[in-house]
This record gives sequence, structure tokens and C-alpha cells, in this order.
Amino acid sequence: MSTTPVYERRPTGPRYHDFLARHAQVLSIAAFFLLMVVLFSLNTGAFLSQGNLLNLLRQSAPLIIVAVAMTFVITTGGIDLSVGSTVALINALVAIALQAGVPWPLAVLAMLVLGALVGLVQGWFVAREGIPAFIVTLAGLSILRGVALLLTQGFSIPIASDNWFVQIGRGWFLGLPFPAILAVLVMAAGALVLSSTRFGRYVTAIGANAEAARRAGIGVQGVTMAVYVLTGTAAALAGIVIAARLGSGSSNAAVGFELDVIAAVVLGGTSLMGGRGSILGTCLGALTIAVIGNGLILAHISPFFTQIVTGLIILAAIWLNTKVFRGGRRR
Amino acid sequence: MTGGIDRAAAAAAATPRIRLEGIRKQFGSIQALRGVDLDLMPGEVLGLVGDNAAGKSTLTKVISGAYVPDEGRILVDGQAAGYTTPAEARAIGIEMVYQDLSLCDTIDVAGNLFLGREPRRSVLGLQLLDRRRMREEARRNLDALDIHVPSLDAYVEQLSGGQRQSIAIARAAAFAPRVLIMDEPTSALAVAEVEAVLRLIRRLADGGTSIILITHRLQDLFRVCDRIAVMYEGTKVAERRVGETDLEDLVGLIVGGKAEKLKGHA
Repeated sequence: MSTTPVYERRPTGPRYHDFLARHAQVLSIAAFFLLMVVLFSLNTGAFLSQGNLLNLLRQSAPLIIVAVAMTFVITTGGIDLSVGSTVALINALVAIALQAGVPWPLAVLAMLVLGALVGLVQGWFVAREGIPAFIVTLAGLSILRGVALLLTQGFSIPIASDNWFVQIGRGWFLGLPFPAILAVLVMAAGALVLSSTRFGRYVTAIGANAEAARRAGIGVQGVTMAVYVLTGTAAALAGIVIAARLGSGSSNAAVGFELDVIAAVVLGGTSLMGGRGSILGTCLGALTIAVIGNGLILAHISPFFTQIVTGLIILAAIWLNTKVFRGGRRR
Repeated sequence: MTGGIDRAAAAAAATPRIRLEGIRKQFGSIQALRGVDLDLMPGEVLGLVGDNAAGKSTLTKVISGAYVPDEGRILVDGQAAGYTTPAEARAIGIEMVYQDLSLCDTIDVAGNLFLGREPRRSVLGLQLLDRRRMREEARRNLDALDIHVPSLDAYVEQLSGGQRQSIAIARAAAFAPRVLIMDEPTSALAVAEVEAVLRLIRRLADGGTSIILITHRLQDLFRVCDRIAVMYEGTKVAERRVGETDLEDLVGLIVGGKAEKLKGHA
């Protein structure tokens, strides 16, 4: 009755299954992004106009810039809630500095350094003192916004239109808005660093298994501090771009910005648990959020719907993230 | 070990890779180690067994530099070694594979093998990861140890427990250690996976690496070990060559004084 057992190596499935499983979230956000674009262009003729698309790029640049940096933080398993307040602080301070007659290149440089310092202090508390990033940056969110309010007393501070500074937000280069060029540069640099350098590899390793990273001789504390320096610097750059575009600095800039940034990162498939990050996904996530906001306005739907729709999309995306796209993982 | 070994080789063989002399370690009032002497020869697989809290883990942590002994000394190849941290121990070739796997799930196999020492290439002045070299060297390392994984590009989370354990061991072996300490490398594995890991241990030893193996699976010891040391209440109570002992003898040595009590219950 018994037959001789046959031992053969099990066949492996096609390699594209691995690809699909690994990039499921980026592919799904890409599909969703295209769906939104198609829907809005069918609904409103103005959506696909060159003017609107360029405007969309210009307006979403600060979101993309900060979301790229945030991708690094979240990939280590951390979070930075203070980016909106950092944007506001820098936004107000750069206007104050320009009004006081500081030359614009010096003001820009000083603001970037200040943003990096803000990140360094928060990163020190997270990495060296072991306080949860959520707590440290929640405190940062409150403190930095407070400092901005104190400095401006709540007033908006104008920036002279003849100052070359405003070109950072309004200028054109090679037929593209200057902020969009900045965003593309930040995105390209972020994608290269995350996927192809030791630093990016260590960011992923820390998020996947910090203890293993430490045992492998990786400077976990240094890398962790560095990612908060990235978000601080990126938020400063975003604050500068926004001040230049609007021609004024205000402590009320970028309220709720951190939530849009985190939403963009998570929509793009970066895991809040850490260890998994995609810069391309983040940029698609940021553009999706920007397109929804822009499209709803063009479709004459109340802008208040934007927040509701964005929230629903995030919930749906996370739900899909945890329930559907788990192929290929053993645990 | 046949005849006809020349004198130099015999002398080298007589110098233990690691010699522990009178190692003591105390935590508060608890005497974790009470004067342990132990030799580990080059290319030897030494099984370390004992009841829970017998001092096995403390002893391996002393050898791997995680603990500094209160008394006693460690000789490595006949030289007194003064390392006081795992990094210093690793620098002189003492590696430890941890019980909880030290792998990153969302990094591929090659990336995990090279974690913390990734080869890089310069592109337009930028130092980028040299993926091709990582993959080629990873392939060579794994082939040399006869470890099979579906794909070097697979994330470690896609692998089975045994494959993961093999990768962790291959990672430690890639540093060409003189001493490799393994704490329960087969505890969570299926039958075929245990076989693969045991073969891997034997191959590493045949390559000249000295191995200390902690395990509760006594049957594994008879498969790979040359010698078995038994710990009891912070001391080494017995040492046996594998050919001179059996499972019953070993169990008796491990439970020691408690064996009398057990008989009383029976």
C-alpha cells in the first residue's frame, strides 16, 4: 500500500509576487492617486489646466519636503509632532529677521541652522534620554508654537515684495515653480539616502530591530538624533518657502500641518511600527492629499469637506494596510 | 586526530583556545559563578549543560565580555586576555549568537549578513551601498556553510525559523571568529531545521572555530559535541568526552543532588 515518498525541492512562485507583496502599498497609493486625478479632471475642466497643476506643485512643496524627512523619523519607529510648530516659528522668525534688515541669504541660513538645532534638542531627548518621541515632540509642538506667538504677539509680519527672498516661494526656474524644484531635489536626495546609503540602511534597521542594530555596532543614538535633525531642518525649509510665497510671516502658519505630513507618510506605505519606509510612497501620499484639497475646491465642494475626506482616506488606507496587504510576511 | 602529527601542531593543539581559571562572579549575595575552570580547544565543540540558574549564561557572558569576572583570569591562545566589553572580545575573535535573533526583519538576507559593515562604492563622490558585492559575498558565505535560502533578496521576515537561525549563525561566522558561543540555537526549530543547524555547527568546527553550545536538547549534544561540561549551582561539576557518557549519565550529572530527592518520590 505504501508508496516511496518523493523528495523534491518545492518550486518558488514567480518573482513578481515578491515585488507585488513588498510594494503593495506604494502601488495602491499610486492607483488611488491616479483615480483621484481622473475623477477630478472629469468633474472640473480647470483641474488639468497647466496653471492649476503648477499651482498644485507650488502649494504642496512644503508638505512634500517635510514628509520626506518625516519618512526617516517614522521608519526608525519614531514620530515628530512638532513640525507644524517649527514651520510657524521659522515662518515668523524669518520675517522678523528680514524686517530687521538681515540680508536674506544670511537669514535663510540662520533659519535652517535653527531648525536643525530644534531637531537636535528633541532628538537628544528621544535618543539619549529615552523619552518617547511622541511626548518629546508633543512638548515641542506646544513650546515652539508658543515661542512664535510670543515673538509676533499674534500679528502677521510683512516681507517687502522687492526683497529677492520672496522669489524662493514665487520664482520660476526651468518653467517650474521654484518651491516645486526644491521639493523634487529633497525627494530625490531622500530616496537615494534611504535606499542606497549606510545611513538609510541603519534608519531601517533601527526601526526593524533596534537591539540587533546596536549589537551590529551601529551608532543607534547618533542615527536616531540625526533623523530629528532632518525633520527640524526640513520644517525650517518649509517655513521659509511658505513665508516667501505668502510674503509674510505668521505664528498661525501651518496649524495642523504635522497631521497632513504624517498622513502623507502613512498613506505612502511607511509603517508606523518602523522598519519600512518609502520615499516614493510618501510623495504620492502628499500629492494625493494636495490633489484632494485642490480638487474639492475646484468642484465647488465646501473646503471643510477636505478634512473629512482626508481623514476617511487615512482610515481606509491604514485599514487596508493592516488587513489586506500582509502577503509575504510571516509574522 | 591520527598519528604522525608534527610537534608544532601537537603543541598548538595542546594550547587551549580559551582557558578559564578560577572564574568567580557575584551579584549581590548570589554567587553566580564560584570558581570555574574550563578549557576550550581549537576546533572543539563544547556542550555546556546544567539546570536553570546553574551559571551557564553567566559563564558565556563572561567569555563574551558582557560581564567582567570578580576573580579569575581568561587566557586566549595562552595569552592573558584583558577584554572588558563585548566589542573588545569581538575584536580578538570571540562572537556570540544570541538566543533572541539579532536580525532585522525588513532587511534582505544579504543586508542582514553585512549589517553594520556594508561594503560601499563611490558614485560621483557619494558613498553608496555596493549591493552587487554584498549579494556576491553573501552567496559565497552561505554556499560555504551550505545554507539554502529561497532568495538573497528576500526579507528575513519571509524566512522560516531555521533559515533565520542559520542566517544569524552565518552572520556571526562571517567575522571568522576564533570562538563562537551559541545560546539555545535550536530551541525553537523544527526537526529538519535542527539538523541543518547542527550540521552547520559541525562544519564551522571543522573549519577550526571553537564552539560553545548551550542547549537543553541533550540529544543534540551527542550529535555535534566533542566534550560536555556540566554546571551545577555556579560550579563546573563534571566534564565528559562524548564517547564516555550517555543520556542517563548526563541527566544524573545535571540534576546532581536533586536526583536523590527524585528517587525518594518514585
